[in-house]
Amino acid sequence: MNTIRPAIIAFIFLIAVSCNDSAKKEAGPPRIQIKDTSLAQGETRRNPYSPIDVSPMDMSYYPVDYTKLKMTGSIKEAPVVRVIYSRPHLQGRELFHGLLNYNEPWRLGANESTEIQLFRDLTIQHKNVIQGRYILYCIPHESTWTIVFNKNIDTWGLKPDATQDAYRFEVPVKKTDNRIEYFTMVFEKAGAGANLLMAWDNVEARLHLTFQ
Amino acid sequence: MKKILGTSLFVIFLISGSYAQTDSIVFPEVDKSPMDMSYCPVNFPVLKISEKVTGSPFIRVIYGRPNKNGRAIFGDLVEYGKVWRLGANEATEIEFYKDVSVDSKKIKKGRYTLYAIPGKNDWTMILNKDTDIWGAFKYDSTNDVARVTVPVTIIDNPVETLSMTFDKFNTGFNLVIAWDTVEVKLPIVLK
Repeated sequence: MNTIRPAIIAFIFLIAVSCNDSAKKEAGPPRIQIKDTSLAQGETRRNPYSPIDVSPMDMSYYPVDYTKLKMTGSIKEAPVVRVIYSRPHLQGRELFHGLLNYNEPWRLGANESTEIQLFRDLTIQHKNVIQGRYILYCIPHESTWTIVFNKNIDTWGLKPDATQDAYRFEVPVKKTDNRIEYFTMVFEKAGAGANLLMAWDNVEARLHLTFQ
Repeated sequence: MKKILGTSLFVIFLISGSYAQTDSIVFPEVDKSPMDMSYCPVNFPVLKISEKVTGSPFIRVIYGRPNKNGRAIFGDLVEYGKVWRLGANEATEIEFYKDVSVDSKKIKKGRYTLYAIPGKNDWTMILNKDTDIWGAFKYDSTNDVARVTVPVTIIDNPVETLSMTFDKFNTGFNLVIAWDTVEVKLPIVLK
C-alpha cells in the first residue's frame, strides 16, 4: 500500500504535466522555425526512406487542371503559372486563434517554403513580374494580406529576408461562411487573367494576375 | 424608364451572377496519395535555411505517394512491362539543376518527366521531355531523352508508401525508389 500510493501520485502528476505540455503547444504562437509540422503517426511513419508528412504537399496550375488538359490533348501550349505548397489543416483550431498571428510572416503553407513558378512574365498590380521561380510568403493583417515574392528558393520554413524580396502586393481579405479545413491555393479564371485564390478556415484572399 | 429598368435588371443579373460564381468555387479534395518532394542533397531546404549550404541543389523529384493498403503491388496493381507514372496523380517530375549524365548520356539541366517500366528483375527508367502532365496515359516515346535499365533489389521490410530519396556514390547520386518489397536505384552522374 505504502509503495502503491506514491506510484499513483507520480502517475497522476505525469499525466497532469503531459496534458499541460500539450495544452501549451496548442496555445502557443506560431513559431517561425524549421520543423514546426510533425510527421504522420503510425505505420507510415516508420519509413526509412522518406517519412510521410502530416501536411500533404500539393500543386495547382493555371490553366486550372493543366496536367489533365495536357493528358487529354486539349491544351498544347505551356502552362502560365504553378504553385507547390503544403496543406496544413485546422484540426479543431481556429486560424487566427492559435495558428497564425496578425503582422507575423507566414510561409503560406507548411514544411518546404511555398513555391511559385511563372512560365512567362506577368503583370500584378501594374508591376511587371519576371518569369521564373520564387517562394511566396504572407504577412496576414486583419483586412489585408501582404503577399511577398522572395528569391530564396529551395528552402524550408521561412526566415524572412527582405533583401531577397522581389515583389510585395497588398490584397484584401474576405470573410466567408465556409470553414475550409485544409489550407488551399487554387487558380481561378478572372477576366483576361486569373486569381491566385488562397483560402483557409473562414478567410479568402485573391491575388490578381494579368497575362501579357 | 424601360431602358433604365432593363439596365438595372442587367446589372443585378451581373452582380448575382458573379456572386453565384464565387459561391460555386469547387475546392480540390486533399489527395489520397499525397504529393511530396525529395531533394538531392537530401534535406537541401533544411540545410539551406540553416545556412549549412548555399546556392542550388543538384536534383529534385516531385511525386505522388500511393500506399500499399494491403494490395499486391508489382506484377499486379502496377503491371510488369507497362509504362507507369512512377507515383500517383501527376506523372513524376525530376529536375536537374545542372547538366548530368544518365547511362553515359548527357542530360541538359531542366525539368523532365520520369516514368518507369517495372519488371520482375529489372526496371526500365525513362526520362521524357513532356512535362506538366497527368498519369502515363499520353506517354510518347518520341519525347524520350534517356532510357536505362536498372536491377531490382528485394528488401526484407516492405515499404507501405512509395518513397524516393538519394544516396551518394563517388561521382554522383542514386535516386533510390522503394515500394513494397522492391527497391531500385537510378544512378545519376554529376558533371
